Amino acid sequence: MKITRRTLAGLAGVVLAAATFGNGALAQKQGGTLVMLVQPEPPTLASYLSTSGPIGMVAAKIYDGLLEYDTELRPQPSLAESWEVSPDGMTISFKLRQGVSFHDGKPLTSADVQFSIMDVAKVTHPRGPNTFLAVTEVQTPDDHTVVLKLSEPAPYMMMAFSGYETPIIPKHIFGTGDLRSHPNANNPIGSGPFKFTEWKKGQYIRLDRNENYWKKGQPYLDRIVARFIADPSTRTAALEKGEAHFAAMGAVPFNDAKKLAAIPSLTVTTKGHEMISPVSELLLNTKNKPLDDKQVRQAIAYALDRQFIIDNVWFGYGKPATGPMSSNFAPSGLYTGDVKNYQVGGDKGVEMANAILDEAGYKKGPDGVRFELMHDSLPYGQEWTRFGEYVQQQLGKIGIKVTIRQEDVARWLKRTYTDHDFDTTANYLYNLSDPVVGVHRAVHSSTIKPGTVFTNGSYWSHPKTDELLDKAKVEPDPQKRSALYAEALKFVAEEIPIIWIHEMNFPTVINNQFEDVIVSALGVYSNFDRAYMK
Amino acid sequence: MTGARLLRYLLWRLLQAVPVILGVTVLCFLMLQLAPGDLAEVLAGESGGASPGYIEELRARYGLDKPVLVQLLIYVKNVLFFDLGFSFRHNADVTSLLLERMVPTLLLMGSTLLISVGVGALAGLFAAIWVRTWRDHLISLAAIIAYATPLFWVGLMLILVFSIWLDWFPTSGMENVVMFYEGWDRVVDIAHHLVLPAVTLSLFYMALYTRLMRATMLEQRGLDYVTTARAKGLTERQINFRHVLRNALLPVVTMAGVQVGALLGGSVVVESVFAWPGLGQLAFEALFSRDFNLLLGIFFICACLVVVVNILTDLVYVLLDPRIQVDR
Repeated sequence: MKITRRTLAGLAGVVLAAATFGNGALAQKQGGTLVMLVQPEPPTLASYLSTSGPIGMVAAKIYDGLLEYDTELRPQPSLAESWEVSPDGMTISFKLRQGVSFHDGKPLTSADVQFSIMDVAKVTHPRGPNTFLAVTEVQTPDDHTVVLKLSEPAPYMMMAFSGYETPIIPKHIFGTGDLRSHPNANNPIGSGPFKFTEWKKGQYIRLDRNENYWKKGQPYLDRIVARFIADPSTRTAALEKGEAHFAAMGAVPFNDAKKLAAIPSLTVTTKGHEMISPVSELLLNTKNKPLDDKQVRQAIAYALDRQFIIDNVWFGYGKPATGPMSSNFAPSGLYTGDVKNYQVGGDKGVEMANAILDEAGYKKGPDGVRFELMHDSLPYGQEWTRFGEYVQQQLGKIGIKVTIRQEDVARWLKRTYTDHDFDTTANYLYNLSDPVVGVHRAVHSSTIKPGTVFTNGSYWSHPKTDELLDKAKVEPDPQKRSALYAEALKFVAEEIPIIWIHEMNFPTVINNQFEDVIVSALGVYSNFDRAYMK
Repeated sequence: MTGARLLRYLLWRLLQAVPVILGVTVLCFLMLQLAPGDLAEVLAGESGGASPGYIEELRARYGLDKPVLVQLLIYVKNVLFFDLGFSFRHNADVTSLLLERMVPTLLLMGSTLLISVGVGALAGLFAAIWVRTWRDHLISLAAIIAYATPLFWVGLMLILVFSIWLDWFPTSGMENVVMFYEGWDRVVDIAHHLVLPAVTLSLFYMALYTRLMRATMLEQRGLDYVTTARAKGLTERQINFRHVLRNALLPVVTMAGVQVGALLGGSVVVESVFAWPGLGQLAFEALFSRDFNLLLGIFFICACLVVVVNILTDLVYVLLDPRIQVDR
């Protein structure tokens, strides 16, 4: 299949894209069941309420969005066949595809899109209210035209129309009743390539082919089954034996990825995370002494060897991070790696760190200890325990005695984001589709909100970064926007309120019987309409 | 034992069970309050970020903003009407979630109990008969090894050998999700999937019963009634099977009764290794996500199960030993 597209004249200018699909000259044949491993089992399938990873992995096959995104983060048509952003950036209009219907046979119209944005994304979605803050009104001049009216330009919004981020859900189903405990949450009706059939809790979710999907002849697969296996070694065994054909994100144990890659019937890839872009970090409580001192933070940053961590804790999957933004934003020009570099590595880094601390007046006691810190391990898997042990070991070399504390997820969340009762902890934030969604929350003063999780956990902020980020949020000109981010990233790297460690690369395991499973920037969170069995 | 007497006994026992179960419920409720963090935080956390106000809204929705005592009273009132509440995390009724998981749990529990008590008691019996021979040593050694090996490791080794190398059994799950068999084929398919988890879980308990059975058999054989039986000319076979066995079974039955409760908890490991959709895993997930309605529902069901099994155990005593009678 080939996609031809007019070049996008920047996000601010007129954006018009049309996709034409080749008429099946290639060898995709219909049929087959793809068994994918999803870990942990999603609590619900309400992707309009929760952006929890496992929910998205399944729900994205059921609910389509207005747009899709290729691996270079360029918008592609989906439910919207074309779109246009007004030159002042205050109006976005979508032309919807004709003849698209939901799984219950009712047609998908502009009213459903209006409902999904104004009544759902803007109200119940965890990230939606921020993303669509600028949207004041959604107009529906006819059944197939949707016009978004904005209070200020919001260039990042164009990246938030995937079926994973902003699913289009049927108004005639979800418009009545309480959206937060809707009976159709776990019996979803969407317009995507796969229809929900059955959910056996603790076992699997079964999705069957949508015969009436708007892409002729697609999807190719007859069925997708999402299976839940709690034990990592059993997941590896099921993939090895061919009982399961696909696993991504947390479903693949890092320590088994190399072993799985060596099995001839399996392929391991790291593609398909371009629009997720998790960046790991050592989160510091900058309200606590002595972490309020920039020099202490810089010393810690020098003492950690990112490449060592990638090679030994994450089995080689990853790339050293230079700041809060992932280099996946390099194609759009937003990223710069030209900032203060802490990745010296090895003994050299430890020496530099010691020198900084000596100079700053943190004297070593008779036992060689300058001061003590408590590190809270991130309870998201054993890699984070190993990471904590590495931090303990390296900081020990520069005279900081680290004690490790292990708690469960709920307790960790409360300690980190509600009580703010920690010294250091590990974490990773998704960069997602745009820095406004994924990066601002880590360093902007407006996201210091006790009780709101995965926001600014270091409590560090500065009027300068606030101003730069606020400007970048509404700047429609891509070059000016890049310049603003470059300045912000430089400043943040100098201040180093959080020690960014690595851009996480998750191995995705695919059985060689299947092709074209990972074809977009959203990877496992895309709809799999092009996947086929050989 | 007359029917009316039995009925009266059963009613009395069931009546006794009500305060026990209520007590367990209240105690569990209060203990869960000690865990820091709540459902709203976990839900928001899983979403990878939440906008301001979202968590407060969640809390108000789930009634988590009310005082603990009010929450408790509401809960107990609902339980008295057999309403176990709603799991907001699963967006489903707790009762229907539990019922869905009951079948696989009972399947695994039942087959484990059958295999472990049956094979365990038999092995213990023979070990006692062949006491201090190489066969006794072999059985005892096997029992100790089975008892001392961690369950998850046994499970993984069985998967490696019987699933990956020999290809006799599927690695995990309860049924084939590519074929989706129906009718009789489905029964066979589920039985096929049940073998490895049931054997894994049985190995551990089997060892206990073997040891217990062997010890009580040997103890009983030293008692006076055995000497009497031997004196009146019964064969060793008659003594062992008609007299000693029945007496030796009593402790085994007691043990089995106590362990039904433990089997629910002990199967978390086996359930997660074999992806068996039982209650254990559900409880495990519910605890870590602070889904207290669901967790309390599981505790409630477990308490009921334990009470029922205890009554059944007492009835089995009566069958095994005519000297024991039901009485209130």
